[in-house]
Amino acid sequence: MTGLADRSGKVLVLGIGNEILTDDGIGLKLLEDLEKKGIPAGADFVKATVGGLEILDLISGYKSVVFLDAIRTANGVPGTVYVMDLSDFSETLHLSNLHDISFIQAIKLGKTLGYSLPAAMHILAVEIVEDLVFSNQFTEAIESRYPEILARVEFFCESLG
Amino acid sequence: MRKITIDPITRLEGHGKIEIFLRPDGEVENVYFQVPELRGFEKFCEGRPVEELPSIVTKICGVCPGCHHMASGKAVDAVFGVTPPPTAVKLRELFYMAHFIHSHIAHFYALAAPDFVVGPTANPAERNILGVIAKVGLEIGGEVIKQRRIAQEIQALIGGHQTHIIMNTPGGVKKGITAEQRDDIVKKAEGFVEFSKFSMQLFKDVVLGNKDYTDLILNGPYALRLHSMGLVDANNKVNFYDGKVRVVDTMGKELCLYSAPEYTEFVEERVEPWSYLKFPYLKKIGWKGFTEGQDSGVYQATPLSRLNAADGMATPIAQSEYEFMFKTLGGKPVHATLAMHWARLIELIYSAEHCLELALDAEITGTELRAPLGRIVGEGVGIVEAQRGTLTHHYWTDEKGMVRKVNLIVGTTNNNAAICMSLKKAAQGVIKKDTPITEGTLNMIEMAFRAYDPCFSCATHSLPGNMRMELILRDHEGNIIRTARRD
Repeated sequence: MTGLADRSGKVLVLGIGNEILTDDGIGLKLLEDLEKKGIPAGADFVKATVGGLEILDLISGYKSVVFLDAIRTANGVPGTVYVMDLSDFSETLHLSNLHDISFIQAIKLGKTLGYSLPAAMHILAVEIVEDLVFSNQFTEAIESRYPEILARVEFFCESLG
Repeated sequence: MRKITIDPITRLEGHGKIEIFLRPDGEVENVYFQVPELRGFEKFCEGRPVEELPSIVTKICGVCPGCHHMASGKAVDAVFGVTPPPTAVKLRELFYMAHFIHSHIAHFYALAAPDFVVGPTANPAERNILGVIAKVGLEIGGEVIKQRRIAQEIQALIGGHQTHIIMNTPGGVKKGITAEQRDDIVKKAEGFVEFSKFSMQLFKDVVLGNKDYTDLILNGPYALRLHSMGLVDANNKVNFYDGKVRVVDTMGKELCLYSAPEYTEFVEERVEPWSYLKFPYLKKIGWKGFTEGQDSGVYQATPLSRLNAADGMATPIAQSEYEFMFKTLGGKPVHATLAMHWARLIELIYSAEHCLELALDAEITGTELRAPLGRIVGEGVGIVEAQRGTLTHHYWTDEKGMVRKVNLIVGTTNNNAAICMSLKKAAQGVIKKDTPITEGTLNMIEMAFRAYDPCFSCATHSLPGNMRMELILRDHEGNIIRTARRD
């Protein structure tokens, strides 16, 4: 992991999810493809499995952070990419952790403890279909729309370099 | 019949639903705890080389990956008929102590302390880790984060990665540690011991110093008389990594003591039509329903039951605290569900002390990391204690070591029946006819659930939700007549 001193002025892209639970690993796959393409330029790319307290150490010191996670909403269209920030955050699948604290609590805790948190936090959540079946392949609905999803995420991230 | 629904449970990474059914007079009729099914793990594993499983199983749960890695590593050793050399076993244990330290610190400060430091019926906006820090000070908050991070660093150093662990290989571990790395771990472990002692003192000051809280622990609707399961060493002391599984009855008398390959003779799983999660029970007693007491087949596998099942702790400070807890609570075994928090802190001290012992052990920097593989025996069982209870991995392979079948009994599954019973008892204790159901009421019920630190990621996974707990009262036709909700 990059040391705190090396993070200043940089963007962190943080992919969260589980790559063997069908669509649940969408954030990790997007992270891999963004890293291969170097988008955003000069960013650090990190994988994580759960949120909660872990988040603080991962994001502190960076100029900005992009979270890539999966989400399931009522009547959501698979492949839709939701772009949120802290002001309109809805819980995604992994940013909070049953075993410690919620994402918003983690951010508040970081501020309380004087952490140097990113000035900008972007949450990109992809509407998925299946996250209860063990498989290392996406569902057809996500697989077929993956180029479109990646393009949307790339477009957003290109502006952050 | 009226129906109350709580869905989802407040925190994600594992999702559950508690449904409370009221009688017409407003008293609690029954409580059902349900989790969604996570499907296809066995099929996912079938046909793979068995030595791949220790790495694969770290991905089935982001919360306790180290536990699955250890149980899997031991099961794979058994499949290959091999016993790892002492250095490899000690490195595995050293990693595992760091895993317990990391997890137990998180549970105490983020999940348990808010109910006691801030108060069980306090404003939910304050009843969280931020409220705890507001009471105990910023410095302590920083120390919580720091000690967890240090534990993670040790896991990453020894395990190859803090969550996607790759250290175990059939017959041992892939790499050792240098003397310089050992020296660094010693310093960190000394810090763990001090912090665990501080955490225990905080618990004593805040909880034991408050009569209301001790009353709640001892006399509230949280006691459950069940048998206790835990892994013990050759001296019947608590052990997380190895030993035999010991079960003591509700009076503290040994019911059984068995090694990993024998588990099927002692534990059986029951299926209920309303739950995807199975209900293990003691085979020799049999399933007698969701009943407590000496004749019940239901057992608990929790930090408290581990202490009940053992004759003591293997490290000095933890042993002293073990004796103090049982003396304070009236002797062994203890059946107060909320005392699990106390037991967890004793385990935190043990983990810290044992981490230091292992780091100081001359063999920890040894270079014999792997034993030669034996003949593939085609079947292996690995049992460890996960933070949430006894964890069993059972693998079957063909003669080439390709996986044919997999069976897991995870920590939370062991406690499935007990969690249902604890929730029902808590709900019956706090919901009374003609009494308003407040947010505090919901939290008092959830406290029974939270004490187990249940993890559904192993058997289930998260579903959408906005972190709320919602309680809905319905009339006999299903119409909502009242809601109570917490975001």
